[in-house]
Amino acid sequence: MAIKALLDRFDPPAHLPDFNDLPGLLDQWDRAMIHWFNASIASEQGQVHPGDPVQFYNPRVFDPGGIAIDQAVTWNAFPKEQTRRFGRERALREADKLTPLSRAGFEGEIATRTFFRSLNEYCEWHVVRDPDTDQILRVTFTSEPPEYWQALYGGTYDLVGDGTLDTFSGSPARVLKLYRELVSPAVQPEDLICQESLVRGGFVIVKKGDYNPYNKWNTTHGIVHLCSPPNTITAEIQLGADATILRQDPRRRPLVEPDALICCSAYGGPDRNSDPTIGAAVNALARLGAYVTLRNPVGLYMDHIELGGWSAPDGRGVTDCVRIVRGGPQTIERLVVEVPAARGFTVSELKIGGVPIQTGGQIAECITVRLVGTAVPSRLSNRPVSCIARCCIDPHQATTLGRPLALDAPIPPGKRPAFVDQGTVPVPLGPAAAEAAGAAAPAAAVHPATPARAKFSRRILAD
Amino acid sequence: MDAIVPQPSPPEEPILEMNDIQGLAIPGFFKPHMTLLGLRYPGGPELARLKPLLAQLAASISTAQQTLANRRAYRAAREASQVRHPAAAPRIVLTAIGFSASGLAKLTPGAQDIPSEAYQQGLLARAELLGDPTDPTAEGNPKNWVVGASGKALDALVVVAGDARAEVDRRAAELRGKLRASGVEIAYEENGDVRPDLPGHEHFGFDDGISQPGLRGRASAAPGDYVEDRAIDPRQTPEAWLWGLPGQDLVWPGEFVLGYPATSPDPLFAGPPSATTPQWTRNGSFLVFRRLRQDVALFRRTLRQESERLRKLPGFDAFTPEYLAARLVGRWPSGAPVNRVPRTDDANLGEERRANNNFRFDADSAAFALKGGFKDPFPMAKADPAGITCPWAAHIRKVNVRDSGSDLGGRDSTYARRLLRTGIPFGKPLADPAAAGEDSEKGNRGLLFLSIQASIEAQFEFLLARWMGDPTRPKTPGGHDVFIGQNGEPGAGRERRCLLFGDGLQQAELATRAEWVIPTGGGYFFLPSIRALREVLAQ
Repeated sequence: MAIKALLDRFDPPAHLPDFNDLPGLLDQWDRAMIHWFNASIASEQGQVHPGDPVQFYNPRVFDPGGIAIDQAVTWNAFPKEQTRRFGRERALREADKLTPLSRAGFEGEIATRTFFRSLNEYCEWHVVRDPDTDQILRVTFTSEPPEYWQALYGGTYDLVGDGTLDTFSGSPARVLKLYRELVSPAVQPEDLICQESLVRGGFVIVKKGDYNPYNKWNTTHGIVHLCSPPNTITAEIQLGADATILRQDPRRRPLVEPDALICCSAYGGPDRNSDPTIGAAVNALARLGAYVTLRNPVGLYMDHIELGGWSAPDGRGVTDCVRIVRGGPQTIERLVVEVPAARGFTVSELKIGGVPIQTGGQIAECITVRLVGTAVPSRLSNRPVSCIARCCIDPHQATTLGRPLALDAPIPPGKRPAFVDQGTVPVPLGPAAAEAAGAAAPAAAVHPATPARAKFSRRILAD
Repeated sequence: MDAIVPQPSPPEEPILEMNDIQGLAIPGFFKPHMTLLGLRYPGGPELARLKPLLAQLAASISTAQQTLANRRAYRAAREASQVRHPAAAPRIVLTAIGFSASGLAKLTPGAQDIPSEAYQQGLLARAELLGDPTDPTAEGNPKNWVVGASGKALDALVVVAGDARAEVDRRAAELRGKLRASGVEIAYEENGDVRPDLPGHEHFGFDDGISQPGLRGRASAAPGDYVEDRAIDPRQTPEAWLWGLPGQDLVWPGEFVLGYPATSPDPLFAGPPSATTPQWTRNGSFLVFRRLRQDVALFRRTLRQESERLRKLPGFDAFTPEYLAARLVGRWPSGAPVNRVPRTDDANLGEERRANNNFRFDADSAAFALKGGFKDPFPMAKADPAGITCPWAAHIRKVNVRDSGSDLGGRDSTYARRLLRTGIPFGKPLADPAAAGEDSEKGNRGLLFLSIQASIEAQFEFLLARWMGDPTRPKTPGGHDVFIGQNGEPGAGRERRCLLFGDGLQQAELATRAEWVIPTGGGYFFLPSIRALREVLAQ
């Protein structure tokens, strides 16, 4: 804990060194991050009560003045969305599969043959199997954001949709070299370039001629960085900002429960491990009156992998079967699970709790993902605002919350609103208590709900 | 002004088939005396002698109906006499039987279709995942287990429980005779009894089993005939439908009995039913048995050493051995939660089941008036989101984050991980921990841990391996469950460590390799329904 001054510079995730010898790139990354933080903060201005400050701050330009406390937030890497939808057994099989962009709202024929991994916990993996035996040879995990690679490649991008573009000088040759090292020597320069623009909702998400995050060496033929549409660093920053908005239910009780809060605030996917956990942690700090930000270097990381209960057929342990390739302990960006050739067996012959590894997901269940927030207690006393959304649940198949819906959107047929009169800090109601609750809220009308569509987090854009 | 949404009505809860579910599962045997019989039997034609016995036994296995009726009568007698163990209470002997995957497969081929990895593998194969020692010379390694060791896994477990030791012994003797006559080997036998000196407390001195999940579900179609008491007046708060006793989460019964609705993302909505494959597993449950030896002398010695070390640090003056132990558990020995009484124990709070589980972690707790007019007189818990009062690594916080949220999102992630614990201590208490050399039991005391759950992997194993056994889960920076967890991570030397806070927000780490809870055996069992026992297993 230390008295904070202004942050000198936003560094790349995990202090990855690839920018270091490319002139100007570290500064460009810093400027882009400042832009993204500022854009997120600006987007919250219409959410808080007039006169209340936005509690998410940009540490490059604002020092709240006080003791900064770091708060790590961790969550499990296996996609809860898939477990909720399919049950664990089927989810393990589905999670290894790719999904065409057409299922994420991307348009045109190109979207039917461009793929992404539907793994929305900020950790994605790629399984390589022996084509003859189908045994798993290698599983590679990444938590690197696509923006890092867009910057490294170079180009001008519209990443936060506020009319301001981000330009990076970058080096396509560097990216090619890394792809060849990390994935395959067969990567060709044109493979990394978008051949046909990828469009969603009328917006160009990846421009023809730009670096293509959905290139085949990062999807069907390998993995280098995150590619699922919600898994971006800009979404992470937006999530942090959104989650500082204090919410109250129609009875004016503060919303605190992680799932109820995310449905009310629409800052991410309610069926995930990541978004409800991150959002609740940020919101709890905001409720304590703190300014909150993300700690530098901002990114997503694998914290560690649990190897307890893993066994190998030769009985000689598994620690040499797991390699951190990029990043470091607690800031892992790329992790590979692969048995050294000399041992003479494959990943499929490793067991977890006596069960052979048949899917990448079994390994993901052992991985914890992490980000670090920073809170500066500042005695803020923002007034909570109303919810802007809700989730609905099917009472006959109550497995998922689905995407948050605007409050004025019709309830889907057969569904019912979730978390009605729940998710707050329960206090006894009674005539005296009700009066006190009413008195606590400002005499002015409760802040009108902002038109919800404009504010829904980009963490929800996919599926 | 937003419209006030009308108060939700209580969810409709399923009627449980109380005559078909074993009473050990619902509502559980909570009797002061228990005997476990571990059985092994051959397969093939030899079963011709066992099967008729199973058919006979089906008539005397205690049903949920019988067990609940006894519990209700007991509580009514207690209420009437205002005595904790009323003399007028009806006495009973209860019986249950569960089968391991190997034992079940000998009885019916459908056993192989039960889709539980953990059950099919058996506890032996899963021991490493749970963090049990891999060193073959270690006492806790399955090779050295007292029950269910490598090559001696049990086929079945019989549980006899009752109000009087003599009656339990009589029933156990009767069963033993019949089983032996049917060609069954009694490979293991052990008594468990509540501590005569501290009834309800386990051998480290702590009141055990306070926070049980409340079961959603009705015992019959009669209005209001819930299996679990609903104590909170719903006029107090719309959220009253979430709880039985204050602080007792109501969990859908499919988390404990197969075939009933389980947890959904919204606790007031019933989720899809827990799977029943094969169909006859409906109304069945999984039973986890772990024989845990407790090295009381080592526990006390380590507490003494560590508290001495901590007291030398600024801000840690309060850390007597008892204070430290309460931080590792999250409750004082009486059962009073540290969040409600941070500085010293309060035996009255510990004993009061309408108050001893009423607390949240992340926000201030409030008291609700209960039906019958009880008003909670004890100090309410204050918000403790950072784990300053009750460390994140405290045992009760590791296995149930309550309102805090975990690494798996919101509340359903805890609801879906609850266990119904129906174990009991074994061995005489250690009178004087400092005089361990004169211990008549030679350290052979501990807990016959028994838990009921619909999924061994998602509930029991998850809690032990993932939340208790990992230092960053469910929240970081917390540490391991130092009290009763294990660290089986390769290369970590089995060291457990946790973060503790002093008076002025000072932090200190406690790290220890002392293992005072040693697994000495057990097994994974399936408790069939009475009908399955009679119509499938006995056929």
